[in-house]
Formats: sequence, structure tokens, C-alpha cells
Amino acid sequence: MEQKFEGTPKSEIRIDGPKLLRSEVTNDWGSLLRWVITQNGKEVNVHNARPMLNYEPKLSTKGSHEAVLQMWKYVDYKKDAQGEFTNSKFVEVSNKITFNI
Amino acid sequence: MLNIGKERVPLCEGPSRRSFLQLGTTGMATLSLPTLFKLEALGAVKNSDAKIRNCITIFLVGSPGQHDTWDMKPDAPAEVRGKFKPVQTNVNGIQICEHFPMMSKMMDKVALIRSLHHRTGATHENGQRWMMTGHDFNADSVKPHLGSVISKVYGQKSELPSNIVLPGPIGNTGAGPLHGQTSGYLGSAHEPFFLNSDPANKDFKVGDLEVAQGQGNNRLDARKQLLTQLDEIQRRTESRSTQMHDSAYERAFRLLTSPKAKQAFDLNQENEKLRDRYGRNTFGQSCLMARRMVENGVRFVTVNHFDTVFNLSCWDMHADGGGLNNTYLDYERLLCPQFDMAYTALLEDLQQRGLLEETVVAVLSEFGRTPRINPKGGRDHYPNAWTNFLAGGNIRGGQVIGSTDKIGARPNDFPVEPPQILASIYHAMGINLDTTMMPGPGDRPVRLVEAEPIRQLFS
Repeated sequence: MEQKFEGTPKSEIRIDGPKLLRSEVTNDWGSLLRWVITQNGKEVNVHNARPMLNYEPKLSTKGSHEAVLQMWKYVDYKKDAQGEFTNSKFVEVSNKITFNI
Repeated sequence: MLNIGKERVPLCEGPSRRSFLQLGTTGMATLSLPTLFKLEALGAVKNSDAKIRNCITIFLVGSPGQHDTWDMKPDAPAEVRGKFKPVQTNVNGIQICEHFPMMSKMMDKVALIRSLHHRTGATHENGQRWMMTGHDFNADSVKPHLGSVISKVYGQKSELPSNIVLPGPIGNTGAGPLHGQTSGYLGSAHEPFFLNSDPANKDFKVGDLEVAQGQGNNRLDARKQLLTQLDEIQRRTESRSTQMHDSAYERAFRLLTSPKAKQAFDLNQENEKLRDRYGRNTFGQSCLMARRMVENGVRFVTVNHFDTVFNLSCWDMHADGGGLNNTYLDYERLLCPQFDMAYTALLEDLQQRGLLEETVVAVLSEFGRTPRINPKGGRDHYPNAWTNFLAGGNIRGGQVIGSTDKIGARPNDFPVEPPQILASIYHAMGINLDTTMMPGPGDRPVRLVEAEPIRQLFS
């Protein structure tokens, strides 16, 4: 029996001082949930978001950053020769916020 | 000839058992009842004799590697310790994998057994049989699943079956059809009820509880009458085993027509937030269903985390590049988070409803995985050491029983074998192993399992 995943996950995120805050995820698939912080489109920080509803990133890069929550979307377990999934992937499940360091 | 309803039964020509059963099956066909749903319990112990009333077993098909989950070896060489890091739990001195953050906050409820091992071949089926029957393979006497034993000992306590497997039985795991999830020599009366439906499906229904379209209650009543007439004739002409079959139909019919049974299986009655908390996936919703089952009188529930090891993301981490290509990525992104959410949701939920103290929750698997990571980055089957765990009931959480050596290859102290786990579950459920016997082959009384409970597990 292949795993079924119900609904589309969604969470709201915001920033409060140095902390990123997230709401509980609705329609939570239960797979890996992570904070992804980018600068100029490039990932500068990735952190597991499951343990807590807040996260205080330690960023070494100055300037404007963007944060979003991503969840692992399992489609199947197929992988390429390098061992990376080919069809399953991370998808964004929250709004994006921009903040300055 | 005899008329039963509109059916003509050729009694004068000598009715065969087959002809009766065929007619019975025809009559029941549109009810779509499971053929193996036979629930008569003979010589059952009174429900009131059990202080711990329920057991939920989560079976991790494929088997997680001990090094990557609950028996980490951070000081071992890189090819042994693996890619994940340990985190401190809420119990001093107990560390588990970083990918179980919620479980790490509930370790005070869990008793880890880190020195499990068995001595037979490293196939999934060997491990499954050990962990679900407490016995090695014996073709002449297929041993019953522990849920079937519980069904036999305590009988049914509600309209629902006493022994349910969610979401379905274990299928192909490579080396044969015997996985230890049948009633074995106890017979079909104690066969588990297999849900065979995915609770995570949006339009999930238990097929056997749905009356066929266009078939109203009047038709159901008519079929019930037909069955009753058949039962009477059969009782006059057939053996006791056939009567057990009738009884199964009778109980299946009650299940089919029971509003309580339908409600028990209806996950839509649950709060949406709670459904999210378990995880909106097959395993998470099966765990939620397991709680609903024990809440509604099912004594033993098994949740299979996967029904095969082939061509899907599961615990069987060979990284072989083919049909068994699970890797660390599957553990990190899917398996560990999914287990972490559903397992901790189940413990929390049971506790909040006052059910945890009367429900043993066992997490079992077939074997461990090789201490050294294979050339492709996976770990292979390894029955010499692994970790399983118990919680709930009178299990004392926050402890580790046994340990393995520096590379997780062998039990270091307090070696534990599978029958001891089953003996502990039976003991937790109030069964005295010295006085409770099973009718073995030829009705010879046999002990449930050749082992003693692990006394340290209990308060």
C-alpha cells in the first residue's frame, strides 16, 4: 500500500525581533518541515522546523533575507545516480517574509 | 428439496458441507464480508481480569537501523556511526537520533530495549515471526499472532473485533508468505480483522461496513433471516468447525449493522487539529484509527508501517540503487519525521483520554541493521542487535534495558530475545504465563511463549 498524503499543508510565518515564528501546520503531511532562508535567491540557512514553533537563525551575511517554510512532498522513492530524489521534492507551505540583518 | 427463501436446497440428494457454505457465501456476497472474519473465542478469560486492557503494536516493516535511530554510536568510526547526530532527551543520559525531536521530549514515557537479538536467518519474515508470535518458524504448527492469543484469552469485548490490523496485512517482504500475522493453530475464529483500506484517503471507508448501493435495511433483514435459517440447518448437519463459521457470519453481520462500529471507523468525527497532529498520511491516520479502536473496545491493534519493502520509501535501508533503494534521505525527510509525529501524537492522545495507563504501546521491528555502512551508503539486515521499545500500561518509562557494544554489533549486557518481549506484553496485559495455556496441536495445552517477562520493564 503506497502512502497517501491528504490535503495541502499550510502554515503562517512572521518575524518577531530576532525570531522567526510559525503557526501549526494544517493538513500536515508529517514529513520533514524546514526553515529555508535565502539571500539573493541563494540558500544561506536551512533548519529543521519540527522541534519548535520558533527559530532564531544565526546568519553571518548582512542585508535583506527571505524566509519560508518547506515540507517534503513524497511522490515516490525514485532517485538518480547521485542518490537524490527525482520526483519527490520540498515544496513551500507558508507565506514568505523578508527581513534585514 | 428444501426452500430457503427463494433458494432450493437439494437435501434428499445428501447436502454437502460445500453446498451449504456456497449458498451461505452467495447469500452474503453482496454484504462483502471478509471470509476470514471468524471471531468465536473458546474458553475466554473474563474481561474484568485484565487491568491493562489494550495493546497497540506499531510494526516498523523493513526495520530501522539501530545506529541511525535509538542506539546511536557517536564515538564510533564514521563508517559505523552514520550521518545523524544524537540529541539529549528529557531523561538524563538517554540520547536518541536528532530526527525524533518530539519523541526526545517524551522519553520519560518510553522504555528502550537496546539489546534485542535473534539467532535465525536475517530474512524479514524470520524477524516478523519472532516479534509477532514469539516463536521460530515451524511449518507443522503455525504459531498465532500475539493479537490472536489475546483474542483467544480475553475474547471480544464490544461489537468490534478483538484483534485488528491497520491499514492492511504485511505483503511481499521477499522470502515467503508467513509473517506471523495470522491466528495460526488457533484457527480462523481468532484471525485478525484486516482493515484493508487507507485511513488517509479523503473518501476512506471500510468496505465491509458499507451496505451495497441500493440495498436497504429491509433487504439486509431478509438476508439475516436467510442466514438464520441456514444456520439452523447447518447446526443439525454439520461439524463444530462449521458452526464457528456461522458464528463468524453472525458477528460480522452485527458489525455490519452496528452504528457504533461505523462511528468507530469514522475519522471525520475527529478534530481537524488532532488529525494534523498525527500527520495526514497513511501511518499517522492509522495510528489515530488505532486509538479510536481501543477507545471503542478493540483489545489489540497492530499498525503496520508499510506492507512491503520493495519500490517505496521504507525502513529497509539497503541503498541498493534498485528496488531496495532506501537511503539516509528517506530516513531524514520522510520516515523519522512521520514516525516521530504519529507515535508521540498517539502517546499524548491516549494519555489525555486516560487510556495510556490501560494500553501497552509496543514499537517492534524484525532486526537491526549492519554496523558498517555498505559501499552504496546503506545498511543491510542484522539480527544480532537492535532496539525496540514499550510504553503505556504499567511499563516504567525513562529507562534503557540492555546495551550494545561500541559499534552496536552485539548485546553488551542484558541480552534480550524476542520471546521475552512477547512474554512482557502478555504479562503487562494480566496474563499469567504459568497458568494460561493455549490449545496447541491436538488440543495439547502449550505455554504461550517460552520465556519470562522482563521484570525491569515494570513499575
